[in-house]
Amino acid sequence: MSASAGPAGPAGVIHDIGYRSYDGQRLGRAAIVRALTWHSLRAVFGLRRGAKAKIIPVLTFAVMCLPAVVNAAAVALSHDHTRQVSYDTYTASLRVLVLVAFLAAQAPEVVSRDLRSHVLPLYFARPIRRADYPLAKLAAFFLACLIMIEVPLLLLYLGTVSQVHGGSAIWAQTRALIPGLLLGVAWAAVLAGLGLLLASFTGRRAFATGAVAVYFLLTLTLASLLTSIGEHDFGSGGLAHPSALAQLAGLISPFTVLDGLRQWLGGTTPGMIPNPGSYGPAYGLAFLILLAVGTGGLVLRYRKVSGA
Amino acid sequence: MSAQSAVRTAGPGAGAWRPDPGAVIEAAALTQVYPGPVTALDELSVLIGPGVTGLVGANGAGKSTLIKVLLGLLAPTRGHAAVLGLDCAAQGARIRALTGYMPEHDCLPPDVTATEFVTHMGRMSGLPATAAKERAADSLRHVGLYEERYRQVGTYSTGMKQRVKLAQALAGDPRLLLLDEPTNGLDPGGRGAMLELIARIGAEFGISIVVASHLLGEIEQICDHLVAIDGGRLLRADTISSVTRATAVLLIEVDEGTEQLAAALAGRGLAALPQARGLLVRLAGEDTYDVVRDTVADLGLALNRMEQRRHRLEELFRDEAASDERAGEAHVG
Repeated sequence: MSASAGPAGPAGVIHDIGYRSYDGQRLGRAAIVRALTWHSLRAVFGLRRGAKAKIIPVLTFAVMCLPAVVNAAAVALSHDHTRQVSYDTYTASLRVLVLVAFLAAQAPEVVSRDLRSHVLPLYFARPIRRADYPLAKLAAFFLACLIMIEVPLLLLYLGTVSQVHGGSAIWAQTRALIPGLLLGVAWAAVLAGLGLLLASFTGRRAFATGAVAVYFLLTLTLASLLTSIGEHDFGSGGLAHPSALAQLAGLISPFTVLDGLRQWLGGTTPGMIPNPGSYGPAYGLAFLILLAVGTGGLVLRYRKVSGA
Repeated sequence: MSAQSAVRTAGPGAGAWRPDPGAVIEAAALTQVYPGPVTALDELSVLIGPGVTGLVGANGAGKSTLIKVLLGLLAPTRGHAAVLGLDCAAQGARIRALTGYMPEHDCLPPDVTATEFVTHMGRMSGLPATAAKERAADSLRHVGLYEERYRQVGTYSTGMKQRVKLAQALAGDPRLLLLDEPTNGLDPGGRGAMLELIARIGAEFGISIVVASHLLGEIEQICDHLVAIDGGRLLRADTISSVTRATAVLLIEVDEGTEQLAAALAGRGLAALPQARGLLVRLAGEDTYDVVRDTVADLGLALNRMEQRRHRLEELFRDEAASDERAGEAHVG
């Protein structure tokens, strides 16, 4: 149908344009979910938002990249061009703290905002299914965490290989990088799920931020405390032969679960907890449980949210 | 099997139910029981055609439940529902792609511009990025928010926010608009403007509209048809003119002696409903004025006000719920 009104009315009067119906393509569910994911991912980093929305994501990202930049300088200046930061743990304590700040600040941006403004009925009144909303949000936040974790690793890699010579040296770097990248995927999956689940319980941003920060910091502190008690009071052999308490305390915190998983899978760099040894499978299982709790919990949570 | 007979036999076992292709909305013995058990919809059967239809009912009458079922968000306990000839239970996603929904409550994030928000909601309706942008601009212009569309929604007045809610419902170029209390929170001027806008969309855009409201007066102004529900059952489904003719009432206010007057009116055959500041009697004809005047004069009361008014919806229900229950059933069968 033609929308041109012809010479009937005065041309150029904006209000006189009649209703134009849309005859074009209508995208399906998958495309809508992709659009929602992309939209949410941009929101995490404050793109197309005011300057205020960009402060924390940009700052945390910059701090996260700092070790990689320092490493690049160190590799360039040192004589033997040795990499200073490991791929599989990066800089464990810095990475954990920066990620907690990122999760606490940005998980509410992804889910609490929509709860606060009661916009969910509008999503549920559209072609997507109920579970599509939390899954799109999870995918977006997973990608955001992946960017936070993997980009610094890639910078670390580039800063190192730009200074080493010879194909074998580059290959050695690449082989060391790959487990680090894979672990990064595991980190992003666990942290994004748990962070969003915690944030999705309240529309109040400050409470959501508090809940996420308290959960991650409290469990980490507890795990570290029990680990060191296990190492000093009960373990006769120190780090080489840690006690069962020291080996199991890491199951308390998602970060130490991820670190235990790394060591069980063969990571040798000293990390946040002693090597779990024969308890390794417990860390594998804990990882799967955390993954399921984050993802499943989020989907279940949104079955209960009022829809219309 | 014809659609008619399917409606009659509709029930849990009627697998071969076929929606009426000509109806915009169709409910057949629709029943929704929430755990409790609370019956939100009770054997509701109604056929809504193209045009602007008012869905009236007091709070808790089942309007919101009906909307959820129509959007395919809630599977009915028994019975069937269809929107635009599509079965709500089986084709919810398709229905939601063709239906624009404006919820009753606030649903706008404050920190984005109207353009961004409506564009995003258009994309969520399945429009490609470029089309969503164009339609967002169009929709915002249609609701009269062209100049302000780059401002953050949080800075808008209530009236402007209601317009954004309407614009996001329009963004996906729907065949049907479901508007839930569209004048909620608006001042009289804002109400008038919103109603005018809805009437224009119905008349000029060729979109069928269902306006859910508890204010019969608003429904009267803009709708061609009225569907009244109460307690999850159909009370009335009729054209506006036939409904409003039966609902004209007279509001009588006296200084004191309201109860005395009510008793005296009852004695003369006029049932009077006590109001906050007066009495309501059904306006049967010119005689009613005379009876009221004479009664007031005989009692020696000071008459402050006597005005013709439409029934407010609750009054319509209070009066007619009992007597119309059977008639309503017969009407929809």
